[in-house]
Amino acid sequence: MQQAPLTYQTALSANMVLFCRFLRKKGFNLGPSEEADALRAITMIPLGEERLFRQSLRAVLAKNKYQFNVFIDCYTEFWDQIAKAVDSKLKQDKPVKKATDAVQNREAQFNALKDWLNLVPSTEEKSVSTYSDIEVLAKKDFQDLSNDEMQLMMSLLKRLARKLAHQKSRLKKKSKKHKVVDLKKTIRANMRRGGEMQNLIFSEKKEKKMKLVLLCDVSKSMDLYSRFFVHLIYAFQNAYDKIETFVFSTALHRVSEILNNHEFERAFDIISERVPHWSGGTTIGSCLSDFIETYSYGHLDGKTIVYILSDGWDTGEPDIMRSAMKSIYKKSRKVIWLNPLAGSPNFSPEAVGMKTALPYIDVLASAHNMDSLKRVIHETRKRRNLINRQIYF
Amino acid sequence: MKNVELDDIRKMLLKQNYIIEDTIAMAVFLALKLEKPLLVEGPAGVGKTEIAKVIAKALNSELIRLQCYEGLDSTHALYEWNYQRQLLYLKMQESQSKDIKAKEKDVFSDKFLLKRPILKAITNSKQSVLLIDEVDRADEEFESFLLEVLSDWQVSIPEIGTITANKKPYVILTGNRTRELSEALRRRCLYLWIDYPDFEKELAIVNARVPGIDSKLGKQICLFMQELRHLKLEKTPGISETIDWARALATLHLSHLDKQIVESTLGVVLKDWQDIRRTTDALSELLEKTGVVSRIG
Repeated sequence: MQQAPLTYQTALSANMVLFCRFLRKKGFNLGPSEEADALRAITMIPLGEERLFRQSLRAVLAKNKYQFNVFIDCYTEFWDQIAKAVDSKLKQDKPVKKATDAVQNREAQFNALKDWLNLVPSTEEKSVSTYSDIEVLAKKDFQDLSNDEMQLMMSLLKRLARKLAHQKSRLKKKSKKHKVVDLKKTIRANMRRGGEMQNLIFSEKKEKKMKLVLLCDVSKSMDLYSRFFVHLIYAFQNAYDKIETFVFSTALHRVSEILNNHEFERAFDIISERVPHWSGGTTIGSCLSDFIETYSYGHLDGKTIVYILSDGWDTGEPDIMRSAMKSIYKKSRKVIWLNPLAGSPNFSPEAVGMKTALPYIDVLASAHNMDSLKRVIHETRKRRNLINRQIYF
Repeated sequence: MKNVELDDIRKMLLKQNYIIEDTIAMAVFLALKLEKPLLVEGPAGVGKTEIAKVIAKALNSELIRLQCYEGLDSTHALYEWNYQRQLLYLKMQESQSKDIKAKEKDVFSDKFLLKRPILKAITNSKQSVLLIDEVDRADEEFESFLLEVLSDWQVSIPEIGTITANKKPYVILTGNRTRELSEALRRRCLYLWIDYPDFEKELAIVNARVPGIDSKLGKQICLFMQELRHLKLEKTPGISETIDWARALATLHLSHLDKQIVESTLGVVLKDWQDIRRTTDALSELLEKTGVVSRIG
């Protein structure tokens, strides 16, 4: 039904409900209680001032920074339509179907990814086609992914990271709060008080957690691989005590703070700005020595696993590389080298850099697609295996 | 809070020297009127915590602050029994012959209850302002606990019973966006995003907070800060750094900026050595944009 030119009061609440529906289609998560709040809010402000009307709605209906910023546009769009007396309800109906389809699809893809990573055994029926889609996608080299596929991968990883973060942290909290009274120590401590418990001694379970150090080559050819790798590692970050990330090309930079304080895409943009890219060649050896000199004191110890992601083409002196790798190997728990070139069937570690580093590497893997990354993740759990040094492709 | 109008809020906050713009006034007004919590987000140092302090002063109520950190649980936020004191009390009461029930009542009475911020806010006789600072540092469990408290406003202590709030406090949550907050918590609150100020606003703030500062100096400081924020720094300075710097320079009785002074006082504004290095490298450019003529010699 078309609305006649509005008399402010009578049609207002109906329009408010329509407005909230409109916002919901735009991705705002609004329920009936928020609608009620909005209606209450506009009763509090003086009528007639459009600016105040708009602001009050924004304060109530926008719930995060993104919504806050796009609110004005949505508002103008909706109320323009009302002013033209166009039935906005009809217009919204068509896109709805597409939206729900897309959402269902994403859900299926997400569940398929989770299962494939073998993390949460799902009892739900998974659509077979989506699962095998993911399998195919997982074998594709990152460089061969189309833009859409890449976006898909990144967003799935992001969601995965959020979910995992929540799971793991619950485990963490339980053991912290599980303050068990250590009776033995308590009695002993109170012996001099005639056995009366004046001091309670609590014990907490000691959690053995691992530390990770990531050294990523971000020169032109390696940039994409580095991104995926770091993304995946950070998905599991709550399983590790600490993750320190460094990037290098011609020099070494510590970027852990940036990754911790910013959302991923933005963080990588900041990193690309800071680290000058040089497609000529990477001085891996000197960057690694830099790492040893500057950072090994705080970051390398018997509990740390070191990941190095690089293609091994070093343009510096091989001796520098050798001594750096030797130090890293000695001081850490495990050294895992990821070389995306190793994904091609003709690979053999001929590059001088790789050859020099090989004796000091525990695991050499390729990490050029999701499949190999997944294996690498599972690999982290095990200890240094001196007899069977493993090489994965 | 029944008869307060939007303008009154603005005036109240201005009286406390808090420079306000429309968005902030509206959010605060609605939060007070609708009695919903207010979630304030924004980069560090833009005045999120300040708002709560200022509101408390303006309403003449007590500010109760709960600083969140990783691992914060309900014990630290709600209440804890003073075990040591209880044990000592029991020891002292040993010789007296009271029956068990009376002793129990004594031991679990108010004087042995350590009230932490949220319980303090609930049991306060007057209406208070509860500031939950940096809520995104706490974990998911704490968030769900918070949701429960914010909706029911009652706490049940097993030994005493259920305590309901007679005056619901005003709640302000602040966040830095280091972690995404849960949807449920966001929907409970009204939202306000405070960004770095523009030149006019910053100038107004400096003039309000550092009275008596030379006007030319004030303008140069604000221009400089605006330019500084365009650099990609590790820790971008916020308004609090601007105010500190302005105060420092005013104490030195300066009337304008020059390169030497800026270099030597940079530590007031920037707190990271890489930032300081980057700024000193770009200093001449920045000062040119600000219109400062450097001293010759």
